[in-house]
Amino acid sequence: MEGFGFKDTFSTITTDSLLEALLVVVVASFLIMLVQKLIPALAGKLGGKIRRYLLASVPLLRLLIIVLTIVTVVPILVEPSFENMVAVFGALGLALGFAFKDYANSLIAGIVTLYEMPYRPGDWIEVNGQYGEVRSIGTRAAEMVTLDDTVIVIPHSLLWNTLLANGNDGTDNLMCVAELFLDPNHDVARMQNLFRDAVFTCPLTKTYQPVLVTVSATDDAMRYRLKAYPLEPREQARFISDLTARAAAVCASEGVRMVSKRVTTPA
Amino acid sequence: MTNDVVQDHPYLPGGLISLEHWNTPETSVHKSLRGALNDILLQLRVGISPDDQAFKSLDDLPMLKGDKLRVFAPEPDSELLAKALQDQWARLRQAGAHQRNVSFVVAPPFSGVAEALCRTQRRILTPPDNLFMTEQDAAAWWDEQLAGGDWIVPELADFWLRHQSGLNLLREFFARIALDHAGNGVVGCVSWCWQFWTQYLPELSLAPYTLAPLTGEQMTRWFDYLASERGEQQVIARMTHDGLYVLPVPEEKTRLKYSSFTQDLATLARGNRGIARAIWQRALRARPEKSEAHEGKENREKREPVDIGGRQCWVVPLDQLSLPSVPQSAGRQPGHILHALLLHNGLTTEQLHMVTGLPEQEVCLTLDKLLRAELIYRNQTSGAYEVTPLGYPAVRKNLQGRGYPVDGF
Repeated sequence: MEGFGFKDTFSTITTDSLLEALLVVVVASFLIMLVQKLIPALAGKLGGKIRRYLLASVPLLRLLIIVLTIVTVVPILVEPSFENMVAVFGALGLALGFAFKDYANSLIAGIVTLYEMPYRPGDWIEVNGQYGEVRSIGTRAAEMVTLDDTVIVIPHSLLWNTLLANGNDGTDNLMCVAELFLDPNHDVARMQNLFRDAVFTCPLTKTYQPVLVTVSATDDAMRYRLKAYPLEPREQARFISDLTARAAAVCASEGVRMVSKRVTTPA
Repeated sequence: MTNDVVQDHPYLPGGLISLEHWNTPETSVHKSLRGALNDILLQLRVGISPDDQAFKSLDDLPMLKGDKLRVFAPEPDSELLAKALQDQWARLRQAGAHQRNVSFVVAPPFSGVAEALCRTQRRILTPPDNLFMTEQDAAAWWDEQLAGGDWIVPELADFWLRHQSGLNLLREFFARIALDHAGNGVVGCVSWCWQFWTQYLPELSLAPYTLAPLTGEQMTRWFDYLASERGEQQVIARMTHDGLYVLPVPEEKTRLKYSSFTQDLATLARGNRGIARAIWQRALRARPEKSEAHEGKENREKREPVDIGGRQCWVVPLDQLSLPSVPQSAGRQPGHILHALLLHNGLTTEQLHMVTGLPEQEVCLTLDKLLRAELIYRNQTSGAYEVTPLGYPAVRKNLQGRGYPVDGF
């Protein structure tokens, strides 16, 4: 170790300085815990943009506290000379490079997510076939809650080589699609107009966003897609259900039969 | 405002303007930030003490009530507003700015336009009992209604329901107006209803007019005109906390010091005269607090009476009026109901059930909650529930914050 100059570097470490550094770390941890509990609780009481901004500030504040803690703790433990800093960060880099490679990978990707923002708390994303709302962004991983209330942990390192779909991208506009298949041989234009009315009369629809009804022919049915935006992204399940129910009522009143798409299971 | 003929009539300050020229009264950055902060605190406070939603005054001064209130803040005369509106249209026609056979006035709730239009000499069209019509029935109904000469629709929101079967009547009406097959008419429409229909029919182009928003200065003149019996009697209104003047209208070389109350009120009410008048009524007091012994010299000097004659009342600052706030709710029920009430300018329980899709029992429970919060009231004549003017600013902000489509006013 003497060859790397570590003995000199850590010669200033005393019990007092260790205790002082520990105190700083404890205070920082407490602050981080406070930020992670208090701000989401506060955001939960508010609606709209303020909620999203508050949620997005949590990982940034945490990063700020961590950086400030490092900046405070290092000079307490070692004399902040050029040689000492090279020795400390060199050793740290070596340890991270070999022992905690994957962990460091996620940590760095976590920092990248804070400025590239491929997802933020409140975003609805799909990663590796899993779809849900980003609940929190940690240092190493993000937590996502699916529509079935299951928490999924996504390591930030997935960011490097995985396709990620973001439904609302930091806004509260999330397009939802209600899909239905109708028996062919009916007045398509009339059905399109009636479905459009169904979307506009749904109280959960953001009428100031585009409302679209598309139709295409499949092998055994006419496929209608009702596309619109719910008042809030987290209401998407209820919104799609409501649109489907309204569209089904229209079909019933018009005497057009809905067909279920055949599901083929592998033999 | 190239095509508009602005006439500063005391009953129609700013005159009629086209919709795209409407702007909220200007306010300072400082006041905007303070307002935003107050909104956040209010939302948080509602979450902490859910029973604390109804209107309450934060001072102990006696409020003006009954006859006294009618003297200082009387009901605007709908007939005078109707005359002012007709006068404006005549001027617009003379100037060549308005040449359509059907005139549209779109105004935010509580503007008094519907009441004024009812006072004109034209034939009033009332909505059918059953708003769920087929396209053929709707066409036949309008054929019959529009056949008898000049007509007026005081409130278009009464002619539809946001329901799969409730759109045909207005769709047919707009189609006839677009083709100029509707004869000569005047239509009043609440801004929320208009906002829905312009999104539903994006090609709708009817060049509607609206009432200009009241600035602080115009509000002072309007309050003064109403209270002074059309300028015949001097009225004095002063702030309770610092004695600054609100009324009468400041003269050019006045030595009186004036409060910014009406500017703040114009911002709070977004230039809406009905809401401003409702808040003005709640702010009026019979006498100021008797704490002059504890007052500083500066305040005593400000409150020193200046003999200008006339009737006198006092006004509490806006921050001492706690206006109704929307109760916090985990569900969407209050939002759906409040939004539906504004879209249709009032609905009955049964209509609310049809429009929102909520079960009737749930509608009743939510209505009770909103009634206790003084956000809505039941119109005894029509039996419909309507949003209160005092609750309107909070309702609009809440709906906007929760993603609902709101009007542009």
